[in-house]
Amino acid sequence: MTNRKTSTTEITDEFARKYLGGNGFAVRYIYDLVDPRMDAFDPTNVVAMMTGPFQGINIPTAGKYYMATKSPLTNGYFDSVSGGFIGAEIKFAGYDGILITGKSDKPVYLFVDDDKVEIKPADNLWGKKTGETQEMIKEEYKDPNLCVSAIGPAGENLVRYACVITEYRAAGRGGVGAVMGSKKLKAIAVRGSGTNEVADLDKFREWMKWYYEEVKKVPGLAVNLPTYGTPALVATIGKMFGTLGTYNHQTEFYDQWESLSGEKLKKEFWVKDTACPACPIACSKVFQAKDGKHKGAISEGPEYETLYSLGSMCGIPDLGAVIKGDSLCDEWGMDTVSYGVTISFLMEAYQKGLLTKENTEGVEFKFGNDDAMINTIEKTAKREGIGNLAAEGSLRASRILGGDSERYAIQVKGLEIPGHSARGLRGMSLGYAVATRGGSHHDPRPTGEYAGASDRKAVEGKAAWVIGTMQMTTIGDCLVHCHFMERLLGFTLTPRFVDMINPVTGFNYTHQELVDVAERILDLERAFNVRTGIRRRDDTIPRRFLEEPIPEGPSKGFHTDELTLNKLLDDFYALKEWDPKTGIPTSAKLKRLGLEDVAADLERL
Amino acid sequence: MTVAIAQEKKPLIKFDLQKCAFCKICELSCSDFHYKKFGDSISRITIIRKGPTMFRYFICTRCDKRFCIPACPTKALSYVGGNIVVDEKLCNSCGDCVKACPFHGIKLHPTTKMPLICDLCNGDPNCVKACPKSALTLVWLPEARK
Repeated sequence: MTNRKTSTTEITDEFARKYLGGNGFAVRYIYDLVDPRMDAFDPTNVVAMMTGPFQGINIPTAGKYYMATKSPLTNGYFDSVSGGFIGAEIKFAGYDGILITGKSDKPVYLFVDDDKVEIKPADNLWGKKTGETQEMIKEEYKDPNLCVSAIGPAGENLVRYACVITEYRAAGRGGVGAVMGSKKLKAIAVRGSGTNEVADLDKFREWMKWYYEEVKKVPGLAVNLPTYGTPALVATIGKMFGTLGTYNHQTEFYDQWESLSGEKLKKEFWVKDTACPACPIACSKVFQAKDGKHKGAISEGPEYETLYSLGSMCGIPDLGAVIKGDSLCDEWGMDTVSYGVTISFLMEAYQKGLLTKENTEGVEFKFGNDDAMINTIEKTAKREGIGNLAAEGSLRASRILGGDSERYAIQVKGLEIPGHSARGLRGMSLGYAVATRGGSHHDPRPTGEYAGASDRKAVEGKAAWVIGTMQMTTIGDCLVHCHFMERLLGFTLTPRFVDMINPVTGFNYTHQELVDVAERILDLERAFNVRTGIRRRDDTIPRRFLEEPIPEGPSKGFHTDELTLNKLLDDFYALKEWDPKTGIPTSAKLKRLGLEDVAADLERL
Repeated sequence: MTVAIAQEKKPLIKFDLQKCAFCKICELSCSDFHYKKFGDSISRITIIRKGPTMFRYFICTRCDKRFCIPACPTKALSYVGGNIVVDEKLCNSCGDCVKACPFHGIKLHPTTKMPLICDLCNGDPNCVKACPKSALTLVWLPEARK
């Protein structure tokens, strides 16, 4: 961006085999290009927009793209995956991904049209919301099929959890949008006239046939997600498990879960189903408030995570308010999970007297105040008043507010925890603690524990389970497909993944090779984070979760205390071949994975 | 259904906006069938999105006026058995048919520059079969009287 220059490099087959795509490509480039000690907003930071082998073909759930950077929220390696045709379009234009370095002095956007790559002025787009920005760029080229990923005012103003929006879906977490904003890059627009092929079409069609037969037998993919979308989880988690974070996790049983449920959304608010590109599941829904206080509010979503963060966490049982908040977060360009959890943290600080009306421009910042939640969105995006504090995320806000507030800042490594309980699910206690991204449910996965594939209370064997789910999500992020496929392919990295990948790539991986690819990428991410200063002491969960068991409901008494967490960590490091004292990957393991240069970097620390 | 009836009626791929989820599987299955490749630029059906709930589809509608046929300067287009057929030997890739079609049902192949017009995949359209939401259906309409 600094010199306004563009160039292309070739990816060799050897590199592709070693890193597979998406996550693998991005982490290798970012490890090589970014100095981990620099600030995330430094011009030397890199934003990667990547695709994997699954983009631009009609394989189910792969209508996605992958973004990565050094996060302004966690200070570590961070990736965020979103639905959108732009991934396929990058492939059709003839690329595997886009890397953005440097910093522009004026607002710009990137335009890719097959071989033509241009950096265009974006002065007229600066300050515009995400929907309007996309429309204006499409209008400029008179091409309604042009794919545009844009940031909103939140990204421009460096809100630490600003997101990137494509159509109506968000590469939400970790502040990729804020890093784009720091580079003064408003949007990336891509169109391609090319095509994509698979290595073995006959085998691929055979696999597709298998998929469409098998998927009918999986109720989650065949019934629940197509009918209700992710809000179906509210009933499972809120009622059956009683692990729906409420009032900033002061409890995890929300007595009003029913008013946020997927059934109610479908019955009273549903307008139509939508899908990510090439996905037959179509779990996305457009919801609209048809009457009540927020009549007319319309949004693609909210997803389950938003119902948790803006709903139960803030103590707001009004679906209209959640829909309104969801659409405003999209328009201003910020992550609903981090925003909602930060607001609920501020509400608890207000409850405890750390915040007063003087800090909040006279707003009653109480749990259940939907106006406070909705009106603060714009303030946060503009960094005005209380919004300036909220824009920092819960960890930094707790350090500003002081007191003992850090113990109830619901975050790991700076990233707010989503709606899958770190107390109710043992795998998530350990998973959040060790995940590259911190509080992310897409590094370890909760689904297997909900489904009973792994006992949610077990301690023995849990580390191996968490490693399995993390390998699965890593390969999923390399292919850049949706983790919902886990219900069909397995909650850990099973041989079924090999059957799916080989016809497309033609690499003829064995299962062990694929496990090695996943471990190589995971350890490279860890190595990057180690070089930013992350050690074993940072692999933990909020003190509230270590000290206070869930107070009521079906999961009453559940939590992972410090002793248990330490045992889980010991098991985890031993299996990962990481140093048990520091949490640094050992040289022997890195060398076995073909990362000699990384081993040398870590030895120099 | 006998061949004789099929000739008296014309086929139409109907689109149900309420059912469509904008997954674009129809586009990819179209290019897969015709070229064994995947790409929206070589698909004969196109879906676009305008706003959260507004989708539109573009495909040859076999309209009664058939604007494309007289627009062709080299007479490369003809109407045979319910389909607009391109004679690739006569076509000079001028794109006049694309401009003439008020339904945006024609586009040019990005490399061969030949017009791409829906041919119903030999009577069993792949897009209709592939649509996971059953938003596309094949119907037969009576032919308008000349």
